[in-house]
Amino acid sequence: MNEQHILRAFDRDLEAIQAMVMKMGGMVEAAILDAAQALETRDEELATKVRAGDKAIDALEERINEEAARLIALRAPAASDLRTVLSVLKITNSLERVGDYAKNMAKRSNVLGQMTAISGAGGSLRRMSKAVVQMISDALDAYNTRDAALAEDVRNRDREVDQMYNALFREFLTHMMEDPRNITACMHLHFIAKNIERMGDHATTVAEQVIYLVTGEMPGEKRPKADSVTTIGVEDA
Amino acid sequence: MNVMRQTDDATATAEIKIAAKGVQVYYGDNHAIKDVDVDIADRTVTAFIGPSGCGKSTFLRCLNRMNDTIDICRVEGKITLDGEDIYDKRVDPVQLRAKVGMVFQKPNPFPKSIYDNVAYGPRIHGLARGKAELDEIVENSLRRAALWGEVKDRLNAPGTGLSGGQQQRLCIARAVATSPEVLLMDEPCSALDPIATAQVEELIDELRSRFAVVIVTHSMQQAARVSQKTAFFHLGNLVEFGETGQIFTNPRDPRTESYITGRIG
Repeated sequence: MNEQHILRAFDRDLEAIQAMVMKMGGMVEAAILDAAQALETRDEELATKVRAGDKAIDALEERINEEAARLIALRAPAASDLRTVLSVLKITNSLERVGDYAKNMAKRSNVLGQMTAISGAGGSLRRMSKAVVQMISDALDAYNTRDAALAEDVRNRDREVDQMYNALFREFLTHMMEDPRNITACMHLHFIAKNIERMGDHATTVAEQVIYLVTGEMPGEKRPKADSVTTIGVEDA
Repeated sequence: MNVMRQTDDATATAEIKIAAKGVQVYYGDNHAIKDVDVDIADRTVTAFIGPSGCGKSTFLRCLNRMNDTIDICRVEGKITLDGEDIYDKRVDPVQLRAKVGMVFQKPNPFPKSIYDNVAYGPRIHGLARGKAELDEIVENSLRRAALWGEVKDRLNAPGTGLSGGQQQRLCIARAVATSPEVLLMDEPCSALDPIATAQVEELIDELRSRFAVVIVTHSMQQAARVSQKTAFFHLGNLVEFGETGQIFTNPRDPRTESYITGRIG
């Protein structure tokens, strides 16, 4: 297939909208890393910056949605062009959700700053955040280079994030059982862990959009999952 | 389940009206159509798309032997209508064209009254016994072409006095008056404004309940709007033939992809 449209303005529109998605991805990745660092180092200023920064992410999402609607109306995209625009909308939606989770993490980190620290939690959550950021970054790279194999790899990596979440879930349970004064902090930490796990799911969604964009078909259901906390406690009952 | 998909499912089971196999067309030394196989389903709109000179109109004209009128044109291969070879020596091309009607790019009403334009085919084919029956055919044909309301009070006015869109619908009425089984349309909307285009497209969709319709169009959006099956021609080859939704969302051939996304002319 030729790379260029006969009407070059069409290429410029498509490139512009995809550049905005990449920019949004970069902002979201930075927000996660900053929020995780603010949590671990109890940096209130950094957390406040993350919370304020979410507005810019939301604004960019809105802008991308408008541009996508305009492109559909004016250019009537077909085939891979159509899939590009559809995947832009889905990816943007996922990135926006991830941004919200990062903002929520920053919010909770300010609350947690007032409490006794739970040893090791900040470091574990930061490692988990890094794994998710890598997934998002690779998914967006796969998008840029139309690399379905890399997208498939990202999709498979979600299992590792699920496993980290399971381990943290058990760790927080232990802390809470040891000392009920840890419950408030652990509840906040658990929500953060759960939110990071959800970010991983959104990274997977982005990866699936890449596969759809490249192959024209959504990947099947079979994806390794390791989220087993829904059954934790059953064996003790 | 999914209403939008119902029409597609219906066409998937439609019977084959015209079957073309190994069709080759030569204009002198020029090999214009190269080994094309295609099945035209009954009660389905099939769109032929492709860049200028790709052979789509040439192929369309094979389906009712319009190419017979061109001396240097040679058609090989087999084209059957309901299983019968239309190039068989015993087939009368005039009779064939009554069954396989055609509408052209530019509206070309005869320099006669609106009534006589529509009555012309039924008259020469002896389809009506008496005036009353002919009146009925004319009215029904004009109704089917969504033109009756606009012309019923001036049936004796000249057809050439109508607007472009009305003239094209008159030509469609003329084509359906002989009760064809297949309707071939070569760029039927290219000379029409958007409103008249929409009316003709609506008409095509209605005609689908009675005939197989084959439309050649340069407008890919038109092909997407009116057809259930789409065939993409390029340099005399049939590159891809499939369900219209599939062709426009996920074409299999990179040449189809390039054409429908506007990357080759």
